[in-house]
Amino acid sequence: MQYLISVIDDRTNSGTEEEMAAIDVFNEKLQKEGYWVFAGGLAAPSSATVIDNRNDAAVFTDGPFVESKEHIAGLWIWEAPDLDVALKLATEGSKACNRKLEVRPFH
Amino acid sequence: MFDHDDPPEPTGAIDDDRLRLIFTCCHPALAMETRIALTLRMVGGLSMPEIARAFLVQETAMGQRITRAKSKIKAARIPYRVPAAEDLPGRVSGVLAVLFLIFNEGYLATGPDTDPVRHDLTAEAIRLTRLIRALLPDDGETAGLLALMLLTEARRTARVSPGGELVTLAEQDRGAWDPALIAEGHRLVRERLAARVAPGRYQILAAINAVHTSARDVRDTDWSQVVALYDQLVRIDPSPIVTLNRAVAVAELDGPDVALATVDRLAARLADYHAFHATRADLLRRLGRSQESRAAYDKAIELAGNTAETAYLTRRRDQLG
Repeated sequence: MQYLISVIDDRTNSGTEEEMAAIDVFNEKLQKEGYWVFAGGLAAPSSATVIDNRNDAAVFTDGPFVESKEHIAGLWIWEAPDLDVALKLATEGSKACNRKLEVRPFH
Repeated sequence: MFDHDDPPEPTGAIDDDRLRLIFTCCHPALAMETRIALTLRMVGGLSMPEIARAFLVQETAMGQRITRAKSKIKAARIPYRVPAAEDLPGRVSGVLAVLFLIFNEGYLATGPDTDPVRHDLTAEAIRLTRLIRALLPDDGETAGLLALMLLTEARRTARVSPGGELVTLAEQDRGAWDPALIAEGHRLVRERLAARVAPGRYQILAAINAVHTSARDVRDTDWSQVVALYDQLVRIDPSPIVTLNRAVAVAELDGPDVALATVDRLAARLADYHAFHATRADLLRRLGRSQESRAAYDKAIELAGNTAETAYLTRRRDQLG
């Protein structure tokens, strides 16, 4: 079972050195224990572009698809047997990166 | 049950599908209202209209909530198992809250077409609480909740007359109380007292019920002990409902006028709660303020959802001069 873990932030470029170090330690654990699938940090939402080509007339819009106070600052994909395991890891991860996390299953 | 691909894992000594089911229904990734609704539906077997009525929401909305919850359990793979030993203490309080609500729905069933006491629900709540206790024998609140349920259940048959009317604690035939359930409840309360750990809400409520079930009649009841226990409860749960229940005991200790002063201060917060009006009506009646009492009974009857309670309140109102 794979889960998308979205890192929720209300600032950009807000990671401190301590947080980065804690995330490294947490990532090593994820890899060592076999939960790691993918991880990545994202640039600011203002750098996003939305494309709509549903009518064969592509429209490009500057900015994210939804403007909100909070945005996704990064993501993980984990392989975990069930939600209990994913939530336990997310509890640890939220502490490590000092941000809220959203856990959402893939189909 | 939730269409998981893999069969449920064995849970050791207590291999009970219902126990697994209840931990799934009470999972912390589900909203509290959803947990209660789902447990009532999946574990308690209540119908959708009954659950909707208990929550005062539309049946369709309740149906959607339960459908969404089942989808989430399946899609997010909320496990169908009893949590590991190290996770149990964190998970059990949510389960107890749900079991208490199921018991209460059974004890004071809502709805005009429902039996006033749903023994199927109270029995199921007790059975499930026993399972949790077997799993966590040293958990104080689990023991407290079980004792509270047993001491309440012990009075079940005395609580509704053959004519289907609620019989108050003061008027109940104490000879009809179940001595085995009372003995077991008292044993649990003594066990918790001996543990010398600060009691939680269920343990205090159980102790209050132990005082009531130790008395030969209402005059013999140690009301100062009951009020002292409510004082303890107010410290951990200063809700208006606890204050209301405390006032009922205060009426016996210090008189209905003292109790009424407290009750009247709760008016704004408990205006829609039938027991607030029923308590006020009784206190006003005892003070000889018949007209005000009648108005309070009217309001209580309008709000009460339990048939036995409505019958009792109506008789009381009609006895007023």
